[in-house]
Amino acid sequence: MSVARRSMIKACVSVASCVAALAPFALSRLLAPQAVAASSSALKPPGALVEDAAFNAACIGCGLCGEVCPPRSIEFHRRDGGAAANTPYIEPRAKSCTLCGKCMIACPTDALSETAISEINMGIAQIDRDACYPWVDRGICGACVVVCPLGERAISFDFAGMYRPVVERGCVGCGQCVEVCPQPSVPIRIVERHDRSSASLNRAAQVADA
Amino acid sequence: MTTMAPLTENSLASNSSIGLSIASSIASSTGASIGEEVIDSVADASVDATVRERPRFLLRRHLNKLRWLCLSLVFAALVLLPMLHVYQSYVAAHAYDLLAPAERSFYDAMAWITQPFTDDPAADLDAIKGNTWSATLFGLKLSDPLAIAGHIAATLSVYWPFVLSAAIPFIFTLVVGRFYCGWICPATFLYELNTNVGLALRRLGLRLGSRRFDRRLKYLVLVVGLVLSALSGAMLMALVYPPAIVGREIYYGVAQGAFGTGIVFFVGTLAFDLLVARRGFCRYLCPGGALYSLIGRFRALRIQRDVAQCNDCTKCNGVCEFGLDPMRDDFGQECNNCTACIAVCPTDALHFELRINDQPAQGPGILGPLYRRRLRADSTVAAQ
Repeated sequence: MSVARRSMIKACVSVASCVAALAPFALSRLLAPQAVAASSSALKPPGALVEDAAFNAACIGCGLCGEVCPPRSIEFHRRDGGAAANTPYIEPRAKSCTLCGKCMIACPTDALSETAISEINMGIAQIDRDACYPWVDRGICGACVVVCPLGERAISFDFAGMYRPVVERGCVGCGQCVEVCPQPSVPIRIVERHDRSSASLNRAAQVADA
Repeated sequence: MTTMAPLTENSLASNSSIGLSIASSIASSTGASIGEEVIDSVADASVDATVRERPRFLLRRHLNKLRWLCLSLVFAALVLLPMLHVYQSYVAAHAYDLLAPAERSFYDAMAWITQPFTDDPAADLDAIKGNTWSATLFGLKLSDPLAIAGHIAATLSVYWPFVLSAAIPFIFTLVVGRFYCGWICPATFLYELNTNVGLALRRLGLRLGSRRFDRRLKYLVLVVGLVLSALSGAMLMALVYPPAIVGREIYYGVAQGAFGTGIVFFVGTLAFDLLVARRGFCRYLCPGGALYSLIGRFRALRIQRDVAQCNDCTKCNGVCEFGLDPMRDDFGQECNNCTACIAVCPTDALHFELRINDQPAQGPGILGPLYRRRLRADSTVAAQ
């Protein structure tokens, strides 16, 4: 066998073994395509790293946060997600977070870190005033205000128009108002908060305390 | 011969052959030819010394059963823990009166199981949570070293509380090598059952795969996986590592209502093991096995072969799930101390030893036909 041919075969073997080594990852990636649109309202669990990329990198997909969640509100990207495959999320329409904090304690990595309730940043509630019953004068409701675990600093009634809910800056986005909302189109939803980063959230909390 | 009383039948039956080996070593060193009579006279004195050298652990032939008990317990725990979690969520919601009849009987069963251990299931049952990928045991966090490697690669940073959660598994692996693969891994439980299914199918006459590849392929999988994790910033290891998949999917199936896609991948590996290479994923592809092998390279506790007791029957090689070669002293870093070979050895030739490297190849077993043939050939040459 000539030297050229031997080195050729060697190169083929090394390429083939690299392909073989890639195969499991390629297969698993094929099985977990990008997140489907339906989960766009999904929230990250409390105390999560804010940036998606950082959170996906830090989460090891062990499922511990889901396993300690008393209301079983944490679900996982089981069949989708791409880079976010097997990471947890909370779908507030189905079952919202109760802010018990067990998942933050259970998480072995820095994906979820223990955070004081007022500093949690899952998003902020946003009310569609064109659909919410009190806002369109279709009756009195106030379910969201009653159910809110944070009380007045998160959501309260508009002073003049009684029973018209207004979201305050202290809202952490747990989504209990979304779960309880009786309007079929759910005019309250949790959106990403842009007014402050998690660092400035601290400051806001301090101001609120003072 | 009175001192021989406590030994097993096997050892008694092989007395003369052990004597033969020692006599032959004397013969080779002195260069003299020794007849059968001389051998017999040497035998009595030397046998005791050879056999007494290592302490005999009475249970060692049953270690494989102990291992199966261990694997079954881990697997049962992985099924039970999600069930307990569902039960906890019912308790936390005070939902007993709202449950469907089937759920209510499930609740009762779980209450009956946990009742001896706890008064407050919603709080107390949090003591044991998780799976082999990452778990919390009474406040102690334990993680798979591969999870740490993957986490460091994906985040390109070191989060010490997480790294330290793998300290205990890491130290164990340093001492006893790749034991996780044989004694704990929930995927091993299914893979070994799968091997048995394969054997049954073979007995029915089906031709299944028994290809062999290079075992070093899994180190490449580990490196490629870590590099891809670093490039993509995703925890890729969790997607291709069977124990992580199994633990997670059982949890999904029990507590979340449906399996994820990991189960498809896992069934794929089962099919690979049946159709392409026996126990192929663990042998050639598993990145966790690669990492454990590397950590346990200089493990202190090793299965070793006693050449004086070995009769070259090849049963150990046949039963070795990782395709190693115990009969020729080739254990290497990939041996997971599963003790299947110890259990199957008819002459008690395999045993645990404290040493950080395999002993060099000792040649054919002294009770075996090859050794006897060589010895006979040597003695005839010497006689001429």
